[in-house]
Amino acid sequence: MAVGFEYPDLSVAAIRAGLAAHDFSAREVAQAAIARVDALDPQVHAFLEPTPELALAAAERIDAALAGTDAHNAADASAAATHNTALDSLGPLAGVPIAFKDNMNQLGTHTTCASLMLKDYTAPFSATCVERAIAGGGLPLGKLNMDEFAFGSSTETSAFGRTYNPWDLERVPGGSSGGSAASVAAGMVTVALGSDTGGSIRQPASFCGVVGMKPTYGVVSRYGVVAFGSSLDQVGPFGRTVADIAATLDAISGRDLRDCTSQEVTTCFTDYLERGVAGMRIGIVSALTDAPGIELEIVTATHQAVKRLESLGAHIVEVELPNAAAALAAYYVIGPCEAFSNLSRFDSVRYGYREPDAADLGEQYEQSRAHGFGPETIRRIMLGSYLLSSGVYDTYYYPAQQVRTLITQDYQRAFEQVDALITPVSPRTAFRFGEIADPTSMYLSDIFTIPINIAGNGGLSLPVGLGETSGLPVGVQIIGPQFSDENIIQVAAALEATYDIRRRAPLEAGIHASIEDRLGTPLKAPTQASAEGGRQ
Amino acid sequence: MKGLKTVLQDWEAVIGLEVHVELTTLNTKMFCACPISYGDDPNTHTCPVCLGMPGALPVPNRAAIESIVLAGLATGCSIQKRSMFYRKNYFYPDMSKNFQTTQGPIAFCMHGAIDLEIPHTAATVPRAGMPERDAYTAHIGITRIHLEEDAGKTVHVGGTDGRISGATYSLLDYNRCGTPLIELVTEPDLRTPEEARLFLQKLRQVFLTLGISDCSMEQGSLRCDGNVSLRRYGAAQFGTKTELKNMNSFKNLHDGLTFEICRQAEVLEEGDAVRQETRHWEPAAKRTITMRVKETADDYRLFPEPDLAPYDLSDEFIEAVRARLPELPDAKKRRYVSTCGLPTSDAAALAGDVELSRFFDEALTAQPALAKPIANLLLNEVSAWLNAHSVEGLTLVSGKVTPAALAELAKLTADGTISSHQGKEVFALMAATGDTPARIVEERGMKQVSDAGAIEQIVSDILAANPQKVEEYRSGKTGLRGFFVGQAMKATQGQGNPQLINEIITKKLEG
Repeated sequence: MAVGFEYPDLSVAAIRAGLAAHDFSAREVAQAAIARVDALDPQVHAFLEPTPELALAAAERIDAALAGTDAHNAADASAAATHNTALDSLGPLAGVPIAFKDNMNQLGTHTTCASLMLKDYTAPFSATCVERAIAGGGLPLGKLNMDEFAFGSSTETSAFGRTYNPWDLERVPGGSSGGSAASVAAGMVTVALGSDTGGSIRQPASFCGVVGMKPTYGVVSRYGVVAFGSSLDQVGPFGRTVADIAATLDAISGRDLRDCTSQEVTTCFTDYLERGVAGMRIGIVSALTDAPGIELEIVTATHQAVKRLESLGAHIVEVELPNAAAALAAYYVIGPCEAFSNLSRFDSVRYGYREPDAADLGEQYEQSRAHGFGPETIRRIMLGSYLLSSGVYDTYYYPAQQVRTLITQDYQRAFEQVDALITPVSPRTAFRFGEIADPTSMYLSDIFTIPINIAGNGGLSLPVGLGETSGLPVGVQIIGPQFSDENIIQVAAALEATYDIRRRAPLEAGIHASIEDRLGTPLKAPTQASAEGGRQ
Repeated sequence: MKGLKTVLQDWEAVIGLEVHVELTTLNTKMFCACPISYGDDPNTHTCPVCLGMPGALPVPNRAAIESIVLAGLATGCSIQKRSMFYRKNYFYPDMSKNFQTTQGPIAFCMHGAIDLEIPHTAATVPRAGMPERDAYTAHIGITRIHLEEDAGKTVHVGGTDGRISGATYSLLDYNRCGTPLIELVTEPDLRTPEEARLFLQKLRQVFLTLGISDCSMEQGSLRCDGNVSLRRYGAAQFGTKTELKNMNSFKNLHDGLTFEICRQAEVLEEGDAVRQETRHWEPAAKRTITMRVKETADDYRLFPEPDLAPYDLSDEFIEAVRARLPELPDAKKRRYVSTCGLPTSDAAALAGDVELSRFFDEALTAQPALAKPIANLLLNEVSAWLNAHSVEGLTLVSGKVTPAALAELAKLTADGTISSHQGKEVFALMAATGDTPARIVEERGMKQVSDAGAIEQIVSDILAANPQKVEEYRSGKTGLRGFFVGQAMKATQGQGNPQLINEIITKKLEG
């Protein structure tokens, strides 16, 4: 198809400008996105369920609205200006291709959470973030792959096959929102939504060289997003630029009466893109970058980013987070406890995978859950079930909550001294499939991101180029005070402007077509095949 | 098996109650906007939230929290400003999320009490140390009242007695799932089945007065379990308790506890130990049977509900709820005695029934000076009539007599317009037709004849017509007096003032 524009690199602002100038229609944008997904997703496998018809329908609504305004103002000299007003009324994501992590309910699609348990589950309603993204003008391109129920850091635990890192198809995209990161990095969609419980937006964003942000807990409604850890989960955007992130956040943030943990947010994040960092106080935590196990190229990239901020006029302040080291332990108590309880509803009674030959209700529960859930999900459920049992609760859950309070206080104290913090996102760049087989090592890859979920603050992963050793994308993390997520946008946008780097993976259709047998039927995912070998 | 009275001479019964009350008067469920309703088609009042669909989140019902704070204030509880919801995790298909949202160690209402007046009659067995036939007051502690959500209903088809064993399949109705429920737990302060019955009745009247529930034991919106144990008088330790279920009426509560106390006494007196278990009261067989034996405590893995922030109730909120507290039965009773001058027993009877007292208060507004006649009408005529018609489920509210009409009737009797005898007749007509007393009296010409001259003439005529009976009366057959009165009433078509007729007959026969 001949298109008069270069789709894969289009930004939210460029789409807006193009629609305003009649350079292209929303339908043409949708068609370009659909073609790009068709061409590249066979290699990347970011999508579990593409929804081209929904994207086209949304595009047509936008084009019709714009045409209506045009006709109405045909004789008006200020027609162009009015056209912009019409765009404004269409929302901050007018005509922007977007896709959603498959733990988000979207009417008319499946919500599988990349689990056999929910393979055939159809969403009976839409999540608030999905609703707002579409109401804000987004063109919904489909549902994205993830680690099963968001348990994982590589998207390898998906029951429906792995997602491939568009920068190197032999490597993981990170996780759990691996499909979200990969779809944006490959230029299939402009922005995507993910969820982050311990780093599940920021780590895959850094692995795939895109921007990913977990806002402060409460900025985006969790209603309709299948819960993993209710007190830790937060929805956030992926994009290739900070500006695209800000626009998406403008569309999805704010109080939702259906989620009583959501908060009133009136900030227009787009207003903070060009304010610079001169005079801002930015904190660094030496203990973090000096930690063992962190790759040198990550340390180097972080130091360089700090220097750039300093040269932009920011004051760099050393701060301490004395309890941050305990965050991982607290996280692996609180997270599994909440997950255990949240996943109890998957009992095969009214929906979901059901073992056909169970003799009674107890057996139906046991067998359906044993076979419907993958090994990592079962591990988390068993862990939570144990940690909450009587006698054990007081030893783990209660102290974990106390530790959580201490860590939250650490960050509160730090943000009395600084306006933002900068740290690494992940101790290393994207690893190869199967390279990290031991669960504990996998858990350790989230040591820089987990404390932020424990404290509830917002954090953003900003790509700062390729690692000098690995040649793979490296990200730095910008963290803000609670409910001052505009600080994060402000710092990230200023820092981003100092890098002249590739924003999209160098992947084109056909080039890597022969790499792997990745197009097998979804249920024969490599990770599942070995785990389920006994019953096939 | 020994009787209760004998058993309680040797054993002290220790009883605690767990009372569940559905907040049926609220419009919506505990965590979603589905309406609360009963008897509708299955699964017609459900949504993603109460069905526990993946991704759905709870939003607490503010009115339910106001209701429980009302309940706490009315039962002397201290209202906990800081409390939170917990998740109680267990698998059962009628609990859509496989956890129940309830409260943890700190409930909204803690440490309350109700003073229970036990009006003694020969039929009841008093607690030890209390003199028989005397009234006494029992102080019953309330451990806590917490807020939680109800489960749905499971209907097992094909088995016996609706039990799951032997059933071919089970049906689920989630209409009730998520209905707000308060659970009140008493201290083990009750000592007799009669105290337990009166406690539950009083609690019901308090909650009905608050308007937080319809408290129907038949429909299950008021449910009560009992914990019972025995010990020797003076013993510090409690005995092993059993938990008693299926006591779905006040009578069943009384009878079930009575049986269980006597059963435990027999077990203990035979040298055996009471087994800690849940027992089921069978009203037809008049016995309790083992339901399940608890060998280990259930592990519900209770932990704070992460989807709901801890509560921080403000003083303003609590005071606003306090300002809504209606006059409670105890205060009503005091007012009826001190302001209305009613005898204590009448005051207690009126104040102890939310419908009667509401009706009484409204009637009193119309005729403030006629408290006693109105009370008499309510406690005699009205109560008798209601009892006679109770099979049809008629209540004061659904009846045809308004408080103002009853007050009017009281006035007509009090000022002598009609006789008290006529009053009964008028009330029956009011209840049947809904007409006002004035209209009934007028239409039927039911004026009391209090004209002494007219009555004297009538009496003279009767005496003249019956010389033989007059002679018999005067020679000592005074039983004939009724004959003369009856004749006089007949002659006045029932409208003669009975008092006046009596006086005149006496005067003429004996004067």
